[in-house]
Amino acid sequence: MAQSGVSVAPECIQAFNDLKLGKSTKWIIYKLSDDYKEIVVEEKSTDGDYEKFREKLMHAKSKNKRGEEGIGGRYAVFDFEYEAPGGEGKRNKITFISWVPDEAPQYPRMMYSSSKEALKRALNGLASDVQANEPEDIEYDAILSKVAKGR
Amino acid sequence: MTSVPPQIPLKEEYGGDEINALVLDPGSHSIRAGFAGEDTPKSVVPTHYGVLSSGHHVYGENAIHIPNADMEIRNPYNTDGLVEDWDTAAKMWEYSITSRLTGARQTPPSRNGLNVVKDGEGDVEMETDETSKAKAETEKMEEEERDRALAEYPLLMTEPAWNPVKAREKTMEVAMEEWDVPAFFLAKTGQLAAYGNGKATALVVDVGHYNTSVTALWEGMVLRKSTTHSPLASSFLSDQIRRMFTTTTPPVPLTPYYLIASKIPVDAGHPASATYTNFSSPPSPSFRRFEEDRVLTAFKESVVSAWPGPGRLEANLEAVKLTPPRPFEMPDGWNNVFGAERYKVVEGLFDTKAAYPPPPSSTSSSSPSQSQYTPKSDDSIPSMIHRSVNACDVDARPALLGNIILTGAGSLIEKLPERLQSDVQAMFPNPRVRVIAAGGSVERKFGAWIGGSVLASLGTFHQMWISREEYAEFGAGLVERRCK
Repeated sequence: MAQSGVSVAPECIQAFNDLKLGKSTKWIIYKLSDDYKEIVVEEKSTDGDYEKFREKLMHAKSKNKRGEEGIGGRYAVFDFEYEAPGGEGKRNKITFISWVPDEAPQYPRMMYSSSKEALKRALNGLASDVQANEPEDIEYDAILSKVAKGR
Repeated sequence: MTSVPPQIPLKEEYGGDEINALVLDPGSHSIRAGFAGEDTPKSVVPTHYGVLSSGHHVYGENAIHIPNADMEIRNPYNTDGLVEDWDTAAKMWEYSITSRLTGARQTPPSRNGLNVVKDGEGDVEMETDETSKAKAETEKMEEEERDRALAEYPLLMTEPAWNPVKAREKTMEVAMEEWDVPAFFLAKTGQLAAYGNGKATALVVDVGHYNTSVTALWEGMVLRKSTTHSPLASSFLSDQIRRMFTTTTPPVPLTPYYLIASKIPVDAGHPASATYTNFSSPPSPSFRRFEEDRVLTAFKESVVSAWPGPGRLEANLEAVKLTPPRPFEMPDGWNNVFGAERYKVVEGLFDTKAAYPPPPSSTSSSSPSQSQYTPKSDDSIPSMIHRSVNACDVDARPALLGNIILTGAGSLIEKLPERLQSDVQAMFPNPRVRVIAAGGSVERKFGAWIGGSVLASLGTFHQMWISREEYAEFGAGLVERRCK
């Protein structure tokens, strides 16, 4: 498969395992390093407020090849907690989000979409996966409807 | 060769983005070639070529539009969008790279004009046996030089998703053995177009010249069984316009530019008043058809539009009457406005029953060699999407329908994205359907090339290339394992 061949920094997997096992981390945002050679952890947090998390994605920046900063993409893992329908109690779904805004320039768009598989393969135990390209795709309800549908 | 060849990057430099790779995106209408990392392909060469009666082939925009009695226009692709004439296709691909990209070559001394022995007239010397022999020799030398130019750069090529194994292996053989490229990769057009749009999961609808294809991608993988293609594409649209021209009353005269010497403005709908060029031996019908296609391209760009929906055209004839008709002037000065016709020619892509039927085979006098192809209802773009989506896992369908990418130069017909959106949404009412079509014509014409350009320019992509050494060890079968 044609892929970018970008590598995944070990810290990405470690942060993910902390989230998966420790459960204190609520979300992680990953980015491609400025030289586009590897995927690194940009930020992680124990704050489960989805809107704060969404703001971070909305304001993500990436540099293009000439070093100019523009709208950028991100990968994120969010530990979704929701009420299962029919009063079956709380459910947790570790959700992978690839955020590649349509307004981002060509280069970061291409890089984020062709490198996604490398990161996903490194993270074991993802319950669901969301490909988001528009601001409305990462609204809480939009994500929830996709997440809750999974098995 | 006096110019300094570009430095082959050192091993440690591969980590940076300094690989001078070439990207070649061949199609049945044009061949796009350029250096990886650039925004657009520098070299765009028509895939049609001229065959002179001597058997010599001429390539490139400048050569094939000259009216020449002994030139036939041909195309190395078959109607399935696959290469049929490999020798010619390989030469044209090579031409697309060497004519523009690898730098101007020095003209050999025998032909640079400095050593010409002037005869009485000071004119170009006539070709004798000896000069033609010398010419053949220099041509051979030049060819070798060109080959060397190709041997300097890794090459990323694109292919349609339905390219058979044999053709894939053949492509790699051409690159490795005829061109001696140091490294090679073959990527699918749909995949590159999707990456270029920032998506790893998508349904790519590519409207090309001979073929429209639908390819489903899941996390970057092409879902083979979902791939469909049909001839309802740009070339079909040209035929539809031809049929429309012949069936209106009075018929619309389609005269290509090369036949017109001069023209006088006439009122709309009146017969043209033009002086025609007289050829003692007129160019071949294939040339005329090819030149007619250029006029039709202008017609498509300025007049033709898809009915934006909702609903089919036949259900909206009243609304169509309210839209203003568009004027068009033929090369010979004939002009008129087109109302409902400008929608009707596109309707066949969505509703095959509405397509203009082929003309009765006996009356092929007015315009040469009209295709007899009649579309089946399975071939329409919405029904291809329907089949493609239904061939995928139920869980995957919402994601695919939410990410329909429209690409290919044929998709630039006005309102085509709107119509596709409305037809597909009507077919799949439940999940949200979203058709994404890049606004710029460059991004849609060169979608796959641009994707390939970014990919091939990456230092990190280095590990994906198939090197010459690997090819030598494992052979062409490697392409199946590595370029999935």
